[in-house]
Amino acid sequence: MKADRRKLFQKPWEFREAALIALTLNAVGFALQYASGGSGVTMPEWPMNAITLTLSACLILAVGLGYRNNRAVAWMGGIPLGLSLILTLAALSFIGGMVPQESGGNPTAVRLGLHSIFSSWPFALTVVIFLINLGLSLSWKLVPFSIKNLQFILFHAGFWIALSCGIFGSSDLQRLVVPVEEGQANSQGYIIKSREAKQLPFSVFLHDFSIEEYPPQLLLYDPKTDRLVMNSAQAIPEVCTGATAEWKGTKVVVTDFIASALPGKDGIPVPVDPAAGVPFAKIRITSYEGEGETWLSTGSPMLKPAAVNVNGFFLFMVAGSPKSFRSAVTLRDENGFEKIANLEVNKPVNFKGWKIYQMGYDEQSGKFSTLSLIEAIRDPWLPAVYLGFFMILAANALFFWNGIKKSGASS
Amino acid sequence: MIIDFTTAAYLSIAFWASGSMLSIAAKSSPALKKTAGALNLGGSLIMIAFIAIYWHALERPPLRTLGETRLWYAALIPLVGLLVEYRWKISWLKYYCMGLAAFFLTINLLHPEVFDKALMPALQSPWFIPHVVVYLVGYVLLAASSVAAWHNIFLSWRIKEEKSYDALSHYLALLGFVFLTFGLVFGALWAKDAWGNYWSWDPKETWAFIAWLIYLGYLHAVSHKINRLKLQWYLALAFIVLLVSWFGVNYLPTAANSVHTYQQS
Ligand code: HEM
Repeated sequence: MKADRRKLFQKPWEFREAALIALTLNAVGFALQYASGGSGVTMPEWPMNAITLTLSACLILAVGLGYRNNRAVAWMGGIPLGLSLILTLAALSFIGGMVPQESGGNPTAVRLGLHSIFSSWPFALTVVIFLINLGLSLSWKLVPFSIKNLQFILFHAGFWIALSCGIFGSSDLQRLVVPVEEGQANSQGYIIKSREAKQLPFSVFLHDFSIEEYPPQLLLYDPKTDRLVMNSAQAIPEVCTGATAEWKGTKVVVTDFIASALPGKDGIPVPVDPAAGVPFAKIRITSYEGEGETWLSTGSPMLKPAAVNVNGFFLFMVAGSPKSFRSAVTLRDENGFEKIANLEVNKPVNFKGWKIYQMGYDEQSGKFSTLSLIEAIRDPWLPAVYLGFFMILAANALFFWNGIKKSGASS
Repeated sequence: MIIDFTTAAYLSIAFWASGSMLSIAAKSSPALKKTAGALNLGGSLIMIAFIAIYWHALERPPLRTLGETRLWYAALIPLVGLLVEYRWKISWLKYYCMGLAAFFLTINLLHPEVFDKALMPALQSPWFIPHVVVYLVGYVLLAASSVAAWHNIFLSWRIKEEKSYDALSHYLALLGFVFLTFGLVFGALWAKDAWGNYWSWDPKETWAFIAWLIYLGYLHAVSHKINRLKLQWYLALAFIVLLVSWFGVNYLPTAANSVHTYQQS
């Protein structure tokens, strides 16, 4: 290192020049961001984004293949610059990982784009140079093609495709929330941020919205410390017939459990249809004060929950958290083509180039909600991004295999 | 439950401790080697059995909370150490690994978690297990890689000779990176199904990306023939970034906006 110390910018360029270029790039980026009042970069929409991207890809390949012996081009596609950019990207992401990415905050920070770093000028400039660097190095491995380079090509090309299509395609992403009431149809969605309404090319009819909950749980609350009392097993007991729970000095047995009921005459609950009732449990409490039996219920928007006072503590039954919720819907396009579907979290349904998601419901009404929030998303660039992902995974499988083989040989 | 966590944890730690002492003793009396190996392995097997029982009792995979994932690290990290000894006859790594595992179990002993069966709908996905397990294995390998790198730094500092285990830290990092990449891509594919975006710069995603970039940087530094000691420092310190991405995220100012930090209790 010391012996052959080069002067800065003396040929051939190395890491120090690369680091300096990366720093300059970001200084320019932040200056642009500040000068533009913090408005950041807006991506062109279809078809301009596709044209720009295709032309850039061709240009990078042409320069890479036409000038592969040029020193400046070789440096632009070399590891010193690549490594500097990888670390720059990590540093910019670090800002994004430390500073909350949301509107508001210190005005200077907002203007510098620190609260929206991933759509800021320094980030965009870094990504552009990064794509050039990656693209040039790729061109040299692509031509002349050799099977030896397959892993490199799959990885780097996959990353290039996923990154470029993900960023250039983001302007074509449409994401609309469609609220639907049971027994009604809706073909209007709105954008969450701007609340702007948009017409969808299809309608969603909601037959039924239903929620399945985990079993209710028993909690012992200490009003003096404003805390829940934990038992020795650190478990919150679930309620079912025969369930027992014990806290210091207080023993509880569930002698009867009705998953769905409403209060009847003389306080004894009557079982009703699951859509109408709430869980009721008959509890026998034994403590040093004696023994007693009572009904507990979780309550609902229409019904006050019942709690019991046990030696100054309160024993509650709370409804279980939602286990699953789903909407039975009919999707119908403008030509009358219909599709019946069950929408559930993690199980989106494809319809006419859109993906339809179960998003939420009226949480105040909980399981009595008749409103379902459906989300419709169109992302025409997704297949390209996924192609990139799968190339990366394929390269990784090769990498894994080679890694194992090499390590086997080294011993 | 058939065995409770406290018993299982103390048993595992006792197995690793006695196994380590016997392993050291086995250097002078090789007859002890088998017993030592069995005890070391036994510590992890107890944890694996506990995870299986716990999984059964929870009626869901115990991968939801940080404490639950620590159980897996505690079971798996010593196995990496033992595998390295078995495969490459490098015996020192396993001591660090068992120490790290005992440390994780101690955290869980000091901060017992609430036993909670609930698994929110977004986590009920065929991607849940592959995504988290792949990440777990990646983290385990990179933890071992960092340990090996610290060991190399220590060796070059104490003994001014070049004999070291660079290849070990390197291959562990290489394999760890592969798993990290799988975890990242699986996560993106899952996110698309769960909330419609494969990438949303959520703090957890951002930190996973930073950690991935840092190891990507390592691989490029290696292929450019950078001074070996610098690379060992790089690997040794890179693990700190991984730690932030694993559980540090929960404590950062950005955590409040995250949709997928591990649940804390
Ligand atoms: C993430 C963005 C990446 C960028 C911008 C990038 C960029 C580069 C560049 C510019 C080179 C130099 C090419 C050459 O010397 O011909 C290179 C080489 C290399 N890259 Fe990447 N790379 C990336 C990701 C990766 C990943 C994830 C891996 C690991 C699987 C990887 C593995 C390699 C290897 C092994 C080399 C050395 C190839 C050789 O020996 O010539 N790269 N990379």
